[in-house]
Amino acid sequence: MLYALLGGFGVAALAAWLHRLTGRHSGWILALWPATLLLYFLSFLPDINSGTVLFFYDWIPSLQIRLSFRIDGLSLLFALLISGIGLFIVAYAGRYLEGHRDLGRFYVILLAFMSSMLGVVLADNLIALFVFWELTSITSYLLIGFNHEDASARRSALQGLFVTVGGGLALMTGLILLGQVGGSYELTELLDNGDAIRQHALYTPILLLIVLGAFTKSAQFPFHFWLPNAMAAPTPVSAYLHSATMVKAGVYLLARLHPALGGTELWSALLGTAGAVTLFIGIWLAVRSTGIKKMLAYSTVMALGTLTLLIGIGSEQALAAAMAFLLAHSLYKGALFMIAGIIDHETGSKDLRDTGGLFRAMPVTAVVAGVAALSLAGVLPMFGFVAKELLFESVLDDPRTWLLAMVVAGAVMTVAVAALIGILPWYGQPVATKKIPHEAPPALLAGPVVLATLGLLGGLFAPWVDQHLLAAATSAVAGTPVNPDLALWHGINPALGLSLFSLIAGLLLYRWHDGFRTATAFTDTLAKRGPERGYDWLMAALVRIAETQTRFFQSGYLRYYLMITLLTSMSLVWLVIGMKGDGLRLHLDLRDVQFHEAVLIFTLMAGAITAARTTSRLGAVAALGAVGFTVALLYVMFSAPDLGITQVLVETLTVILLVLVLFRLPGFLKLSSTALRVRDAIVAASVGVTMTALVLFALDARLYDSISHWHIAESLPSGYGRNMVNVILVDFRALDTLGEIFVLALAAIGVLAMIRLRAEDKRHE
Amino acid sequence: MNHGMALDILLPILIPLAAAALSLICWRSRALQRGISVMATTGLMVAAVVLLVRVYDNGIQVMYTGNWPAPFGIVLVADLLGAIMVVLTGITGLATAIYSLATISKAHEHYGYYPLMHLLLAGVNGAFLTGDIFNLYVWFEVMLVASFALLILGGERAQMEGAIKYVTLNLVSSAMFLSAVGLLYGLAGTLNMADLAEKLAPHQDNPMVQIVAMLFLVAFGIKAGAFPLFFWLPASYHTPRVAVSSLFAGLLTKVGVYALFRVFTLIFPLGDSLIRDLLLGMAGATMLVGVLGAAAQFEFRRILSFHIISQIGYMLMGLALFTPLAIIGGVFYIMHHIIVKSNLFLISGLVYRLQGSYDLKQLGGVYRQHPWVGILFLIPALSLAGLPPLSGFFGKFIVIKAGVEAEFWWLVAVALVVGLLTLYSMIKIWAEVFWKEMPEGSTASVQQRGGTGLMVGTVVALASLTVLIGVAAEPVYQLASATASQLLDPPGYINAVLGDRS
Amino acid sequence: MNNPRQHQSLILRVTGYFLLPLLILFSLFMLLRGHNEPGGGFIGGLVAAAAIVLYMIFSDVKAARRLVAVDPRDLLGWGLAIAILSGLPGLFLGQPFMTSQWMELDVPMFGMLKVGTPLLFDIGVYLVVIGTVLTILLTLAEAED
Repeated sequence: MLYALLGGFGVAALAAWLHRLTGRHSGWILALWPATLLLYFLSFLPDINSGTVLFFYDWIPSLQIRLSFRIDGLSLLFALLISGIGLFIVAYAGRYLEGHRDLGRFYVILLAFMSSMLGVVLADNLIALFVFWELTSITSYLLIGFNHEDASARRSALQGLFVTVGGGLALMTGLILLGQVGGSYELTELLDNGDAIRQHALYTPILLLIVLGAFTKSAQFPFHFWLPNAMAAPTPVSAYLHSATMVKAGVYLLARLHPALGGTELWSALLGTAGAVTLFIGIWLAVRSTGIKKMLAYSTVMALGTLTLLIGIGSEQALAAAMAFLLAHSLYKGALFMIAGIIDHETGSKDLRDTGGLFRAMPVTAVVAGVAALSLAGVLPMFGFVAKELLFESVLDDPRTWLLAMVVAGAVMTVAVAALIGILPWYGQPVATKKIPHEAPPALLAGPVVLATLGLLGGLFAPWVDQHLLAAATSAVAGTPVNPDLALWHGINPALGLSLFSLIAGLLLYRWHDGFRTATAFTDTLAKRGPERGYDWLMAALVRIAETQTRFFQSGYLRYYLMITLLTSMSLVWLVIGMKGDGLRLHLDLRDVQFHEAVLIFTLMAGAITAARTTSRLGAVAALGAVGFTVALLYVMFSAPDLGITQVLVETLTVILLVLVLFRLPGFLKLSSTALRVRDAIVAASVGVTMTALVLFALDARLYDSISHWHIAESLPSGYGRNMVNVILVDFRALDTLGEIFVLALAAIGVLAMIRLRAEDKRHE
Repeated sequence: MNHGMALDILLPILIPLAAAALSLICWRSRALQRGISVMATTGLMVAAVVLLVRVYDNGIQVMYTGNWPAPFGIVLVADLLGAIMVVLTGITGLATAIYSLATISKAHEHYGYYPLMHLLLAGVNGAFLTGDIFNLYVWFEVMLVASFALLILGGERAQMEGAIKYVTLNLVSSAMFLSAVGLLYGLAGTLNMADLAEKLAPHQDNPMVQIVAMLFLVAFGIKAGAFPLFFWLPASYHTPRVAVSSLFAGLLTKVGVYALFRVFTLIFPLGDSLIRDLLLGMAGATMLVGVLGAAAQFEFRRILSFHIISQIGYMLMGLALFTPLAIIGGVFYIMHHIIVKSNLFLISGLVYRLQGSYDLKQLGGVYRQHPWVGILFLIPALSLAGLPPLSGFFGKFIVIKAGVEAEFWWLVAVALVVGLLTLYSMIKIWAEVFWKEMPEGSTASVQQRGGTGLMVGTVVALASLTVLIGVAAEPVYQLASATASQLLDPPGYINAVLGDRS
Repeated sequence: MNNPRQHQSLILRVTGYFLLPLLILFSLFMLLRGHNEPGGGFIGGLVAAAAIVLYMIFSDVKAARRLVAVDPRDLLGWGLAIAILSGLPGLFLGQPFMTSQWMELDVPMFGMLKVGTPLLFDIGVYLVVIGTVLTILLTLAEAED
């Protein structure tokens, strides 16, 4: 099992090389991998009704992240679709993109996607599922932007990625919460634990977060807009990712978690509403489109809405309908997309209005398109019909009549779309196309032929499909064994009536679709204000906010940086003093101050103020020197002769250094206004006052005696020196000194490099 | 536990110190300096790994320098956090040293590039391994002056401007740090961190203790590049040579983060305190402001610089939540981040080598010309954005899981949004530099100089590590988990340094 | 180089010339006695450096460089190396880094003198301080712009 999944990434890694090796027929060669997978998954089919098969591999046991996989009806249905359609897509891509310089890269990403998608539907561990989920988003991004020199493709790719990954983050949080509430990340345990989860206080946030993730992935309103834009990808990608597989991941997740989360009013309301709205908006926009791929994309949105709606209704019948609809849709939509690609490939046309009368040139394609379109329209005896009957029956049973209205309206328009695609390009007057049309080569036709045929066979042998796959899938979604009894013919009942009605009304709509399109043009303005505008607005706002706040914080002026840093520090200190400062006392006792000490302090302050206020550089140096020498005197007075001597020497050298530098500097300019200087003085004073206050507080807050008594006692007997300062410097704390002499050396190298390197650069210029 | 003479703990500091002294002695010979550089960084990495293994197997390692008993002399202490950080320093150092061989000009080599680099590594390692708060200050100074000198090496105007901001704001940090150490010494009369932890444990509510803690928060907050104290970082990181930026990006802010982790687990353990609330707020704001800053940039290295800040937010979040899982997340995040961030800078240098610009508007078509460089970029970039199964995903996953468990919903929401915006920036780079065609009239041009193979090799090695940390996350998690247990057990640290007190 | 300082008064130059050896001797004295009286490598180094800088001011930079004979950068490197080396002997005896080692020397005129690695360390400090001050000040004094 692990090989089946991770092997795909290995094959993907080799794909570019294999492509170079096998040249023209690389498509068929690489299709061997999905074919193998298909056979592997088919081998599970006979036993699928006897229960779930589980596989366990450890990954990160400490975080309960395991590579555990399950095969039950639902995952097998998806796995078969992914590998089966994948097989034809790879072969198709080999021909469709033949000679494209990036075909090798294309295979790599496509195969990586296939493995990721299989991971999503097979994973039993929620986090593993999420890992694969995100991988599908990334591979989808790379595929939408496959023609990456085109700016609009890049934009669409980003949009798809942003929406799906954004939802993915919500999903991740939801899954973490779910794992926390359910006590495990394993679906096997969670699915049996539904009652406890539904009654938990966190149920609502969990549901909302997971639903958000699923909706973005499966393009539910109001996140549907990225999907039509994703059609910037090459057609095999649209057929595979954005119709048959990836966009169904959200639906898969909802179906998968139905036993754990489903069945509540919130579930039904959320999914039912979103599904119905998505369904309606999707098919509405589909009828209004003229681009073949756009139309198919919007009808995919419709299908995704339908699936969400059915899972939301959640009755056994609805779930069965969902599974049937899912299968039917993947078959006919995969076929129709590949046919759209064939039309594009053979005629150069992407728009319905540029086609017509193609039957003569490409009869096989036309017939296949017709068969697939019949299934889309839900006409007897196609599998699409079976699905549609079930859909009507499920919605008829739901008390919400407005759902029924939406579904029927959707069905009518679906028939119209099917007719547009199944009839318009092929019959009637031939339209001159960019290329002279030819019948498509086998590699392109294989997929549509097989998928369309399966759609027909599925209808004819509906009970067989039911018993061998869909019953198991429905049971997996329902959480209990279900026997939906799929059949082609349900007898004469209201659902059949609705079917007939939608068929007739749909054909009428097709007959007058030009008029319809003109009459409904007003909705375009509505659509322009739709959620995509919201997305654009958000992205623009993001950049604007980013720029504004960055201009504010990262202004480029050191004085503001310094001011914010200092004021933040001081306010934080005062915050502590204000909130916790009970018991702090300023230890200020001036009685013992001697006269000469006062004089020194006065000199010190005068020096500092002069240095800050003077307008002459030399004056500033002199004032600073005065400060330095006074400090040295203070050291001596408080019996620290070493420090005093050092200070004097350092002061001397500093003055020399300053003098060396000073006469190279430009004249002293008074740039800041008085107001600014006052502001700066306030900031500086606040720091000074705060620090002084802290020192005075500290004098009164001593908790322990210093350890320095040990140093005094041990200096001579252990350190063999009477000068304790020196013993500390070279022995007790020699490591500090070692560090500091390296600091000195660093400073020297820095100055040297700065001056000499610049001089050398100048010489080179 | 007290192997007073364990050499393992000394070598990660001694090797770069000795290498710096030797390179200075050999300043006339470029070849010798290059040789010393590669040998020393290799040795450093080996020594670091040996140390980590030793600590993992035998517990906290202590060396009493000068053979003076604690708390009177200076102790070097290696616990798992310190040892991990040293290993990461070793990795970054080696990568930079090799990358430098291909990218640093003769003049730079002649005027002390290598001694400066070694001393930066020494300062960083010293900070990770010292058990003395004043000695920590000393290593901070070594680091600061070394990084300042590396920043101005070359003396270009942009460098000077950046360096002035860098050094001024970092000196504010130093001043706060030193004041805090002074006040702390006044209160507790000791500088040994274990001793401080023991002595201050009963006095956590003392207002003066809390003020000192706040000063440490500010001082290390500046170092770590936390909001609203980060200004120095985006002002300077894009100015020096890429190898230098990469070293800075990987290590400097992380020393600040390390210090926060150390001080606020050992000396001032975060309870339900004011500081913790502040730190939570800082974490959120740091993430958000950093990532928005990046969204406004169009210069490769500037984007990366701002992202350092936002990523620091995640690490702070791990610390501030202060649950075992959160600390694990923070540690995991640090490990992931250092490698990814250094690598992204190295890749920006590689792109510069190929096209001669850092400006997104001038660049383009790299994926067409050099698909492998594209893949090499995507690995760390997507990892930074937290996409699975790369290292960044698990870091983010753990931190967010911790946030969810602690029910800090707003912080979780911020962390998630920031993840998305990080992706936005990375994708911006990808789309502009790699996907887009080279714009017409672009001034970009190929930079001819040898050694591109060395650069690519370095990048490949670091990218492999990123993949490895993701795919083999279990052992890394175990390590982070053991680290978190140590951090949340101050008595263990105190006993290791001061002898058994029970 | 048209440096006005070249034309300084003879008296100053002569004084500087005579002062120099005295100051250097004094710096060594400070270095050696540092363990017991105020002084030490840091102070000693500063005195020596100040002496040479004075000499530079009284004569010129080239003369100062000739006087020092070695490049100040070498002083840096060797000083640092000596400081590190002074910490190593203990390691061979199974003691931690920087553990001081002492021995008694019978020096004529001084009597019994305790000499140990801390002194070596201080010598390292002394050299680094001189190297640093001279590197910075000589470079600045030579800078052209």
